[in-house]
Amino acid sequence: MSSELVIKNLHANIGDKEILKGVNLTVKPGTIHAIMGPNGSGKSTLSNTIMGHPSYTVTAGEVWYKGQNILELEVDQRAKLGMFLAFQYPVSIPGVTVANFMRAAVNGHRAVEGKDTRETQIPMPQFRKEIREKMAALGVDEAFARRYLNDGFSGGEKKRIEILQMSMLKPSMAIMDETDSGLDIDALKVVSQGVNVLVQANSEMGVLVITHYQRLLNYIKPHVVSVMMEGRIVREGGPELALELEERGYDFIREEVFGNGN
Amino acid sequence: MATKLPAIASLSAADVLVANEPAWLQTWRQAGLAAFNTLEMPYWRRTDLTAFGFADMQLSADSGTFRIGADAPPGVVVMPMHLAVHEHVTLMQANLGAAVAVNVSKYAALNAATWRDGWFVYVPKNLETTLPLHLIQGFGAGNTLMSRNLVVLERGARLTLVEQLMGNGGPYSNVVTELILGDGATLKYTGMQTWGSAVHHVGHVVAKVGNDATIEWSAINTGALHAHIEAETNLIGNGSRVDWMAATVASDGQRLLTAPWLRHVGRSTEAHMDFKTVVKGSGYATFDGMIKIEGGSTDTITRLEEHALHLSPQARSDSIPGLKIDTNNVQKAGHASTSGEVDDEQLFYMQARGISKSEAVHMIVMGFFEPVLDRIPLESLREQVTAAIAARI
Ligand SMILES: Nc1ncnc2c1ncn2[C@@H]1O[C@H](COP(=O)(O)OP(=O)(O)O)[C@@H](O)[C@H]1O
Ligand SMILES: [Mg+2]
Repeated sequence: MSSELVIKNLHANIGDKEILKGVNLTVKPGTIHAIMGPNGSGKSTLSNTIMGHPSYTVTAGEVWYKGQNILELEVDQRAKLGMFLAFQYPVSIPGVTVANFMRAAVNGHRAVEGKDTRETQIPMPQFRKEIREKMAALGVDEAFARRYLNDGFSGGEKKRIEILQMSMLKPSMAIMDETDSGLDIDALKVVSQGVNVLVQANSEMGVLVITHYQRLLNYIKPHVVSVMMEGRIVREGGPELALELEERGYDFIREEVFGNGN
Repeated sequence: MATKLPAIASLSAADVLVANEPAWLQTWRQAGLAAFNTLEMPYWRRTDLTAFGFADMQLSADSGTFRIGADAPPGVVVMPMHLAVHEHVTLMQANLGAAVAVNVSKYAALNAATWRDGWFVYVPKNLETTLPLHLIQGFGAGNTLMSRNLVVLERGARLTLVEQLMGNGGPYSNVVTELILGDGATLKYTGMQTWGSAVHHVGHVVAKVGNDATIEWSAINTGALHAHIEAETNLIGNGSRVDWMAATVASDGQRLLTAPWLRHVGRSTEAHMDFKTVVKGSGYATFDGMIKIEGGSTDTITRLEEHALHLSPQARSDSIPGLKIDTNNVQKAGHASTSGEVDDEQLFYMQARGISKSEAVHMIVMGFFEPVLDRIPLESLREQVTAAIAARI
C-alpha cells in the first residue's frame, strides 16, 4: 500500500467556475514538497479539494493515497488515513475548548468501527501528558488548553495551534497551507521546528508545504519545489527553484508558460 | 369525597377564596379576579392561544409539589408562600405584585386570583451567601399548577438561586416569579423550564433591579409541549446591571416562545443579553424580545445577541427583536443575530481532524450552549442538564 500522494489530472470547480484545471503532482514518502504560486493561483483550492471541502466540486481526476482514491472518502476518513491539513484560515469553534477539541480529534483517529469507544479512546493521563509536552515545545501557554478553539486567537496563535494539532495527530501526509503567513520570525522558527521534529520521527512522512514566499523554506527544507499558476502545476524543480522565484518573481515563469501576450 | 372543581372560564368570587387567608390577600385576589374577568385575551403573535384555552382548564385541589434540592444557605428565609403570607406580612404586602401587577395580563391576573403555593425567598440586608439554593416545583397529572414565587434581596444581599420546573403533570401550568433586588444586591438566578413533554406552560418572570444591583440571569427552556414565557428585567436603579443568557431547545412538536423585555430606566444601566436557540425535528421556537431605553435614562449600555441553530429542515425559529429609545443619551446599543444550519466551515474543520460528522455537530451545538450551561451553579445539576440536552440533539 503506497503512502505516495498521487494527484492525477485534478479538475475542481467553485460553483460554475473552474479553479483547478488539471493538477498532476506526486508527493513521495519521506519528502518535503513545496508548492509556490502567486495569490489566486489555486493553492488553497488544491489543499481543500484534497481534504474534501464541500464547497469544491471535483469534475475530473483522482487523488490516490494508501491504495485508495481518497476523493471517494468522507473527510474524517481521509484524516484517519493519515492526512492532515493545516488551514490557511483556521476556523473558531466557540464553546469547545482546545483540550476537548484535541481529545475528540485524537479519539476520532483512534476510533475503530464496531468497537466501543471506551476501549479505543486515549486514557486521560496520557492525553494530558502529551498535550502538555507538545504545548511546551511549541511555546503555547498552558492556559490555551481551556480556551475556546481559535476564538479570539491572534493569527500567530492560530497557526501554532494548527501545528499543535498536527503534533498530537502525527499525520503521515501533512498539507500546510500558508502556515507562514502572519507569523513573525520567532514564531516561524518554533512552528518549523515542530514540523521538522515530526518529519524526523517518521521517515515515511510526506509534507506538502504551500507558501507564497521562500522564507519558510529556509526552515522547512524542501526536496522538491513545484510552481502553481492558474490552476495547474507549471514547473517542478529542486530547492534552487524557490530561490530563483524569490529573486525573479513569478513573471518570468508566466511568460515562459503563457507567452508574452498573457 | 369528589368535589367538583371550579372551571376557569366561570370563576366566582367564592372560588378564589382560600380558607384562613388574611383579609389583605383576599382583597388582592379579588382584584386579580376582577382584572381576569375584564382583560381581553392577549395578542400573542406566535403562541397558539388555543393551547392555553380556558375552556378545559379547571382549578386543582392539589397545589403542586415543592422541594428544596440542596441545603439552603444559612440565614436565608425559604418557605412555602402559603405560610409566608401569614408569617411575613409586611414583606408580602410590600413586594407581592411589585414586579408582576395583578392586571398586567389576563394570565397574570388569573395567577393572582388563584395561586395556591410557591416559594418565598428572603435574603436580609448585607447577607452574602455563596451556597446555591435549588428550588424545585412539580405537579401531578390532571392538575392545573398555579404557582406564585417571590424572591426578595435586601440592600447588599447576595444569593445564588436555581428555580426549576420539572415533571410531567398538567397539562396546564401558570407560574409567576417576582425577583426584587434592593440596592447593591447581587442575584445569580438560573430559571429552568424543564417540564415534561405534555405540559402547556405560561410563565411570567420579572426582575426589578435597584441601584448598583446586578442580576446574572440564566434561563434554560427545554421542556413543555407549549411554553409562553414573558421574562422581564427592569433596570430601575442607577448603575443597575443584567447579564442575561438563555438556552432554548425545541424539538418534536414543541412550540416554545420566550418574550424577554428589558427596560433601561435608571442612569448608567448596563445589559448584555445572549439568547441561544436550537430547533430540531418539528420544533418551533420564538424569540420575541423588546429593549426599551426609557426617557430619563442616561449613559445606557445595551447589547443583544440572539442566535438560532437549525438541526433539521422542518424545524423553525422566529426572531422578532425590538428596540425603542426614548432618550437621546445612550452610550452604546448593539444587536447581533444569526440563524441557520451548523456552519459548513466548522464541520469541515472538525472532520478534517478525524471527528465524525455526527460528533462534530454534537460538539458544535453543545459548544453553542456552553456559556450558559457553564453558569448552572450546581455541578450535578449542570451535568444532568447537559446530558439531557446532549441526548436530544
Ligand atoms: N469561495 C469562493 N468563491 C468563488 N471564488 C473563489 C472562492 N474561493 C476562491 N475563489 C477563487 O478561486 C481562485 C483560487 O483561489 P485560492 O485557491 O484561494 O488561491 P490561492 O490559495 O493560491 O491564493 C481565485 O481566483 C479566487 O478568487
Ligand atoms: Mg490560499
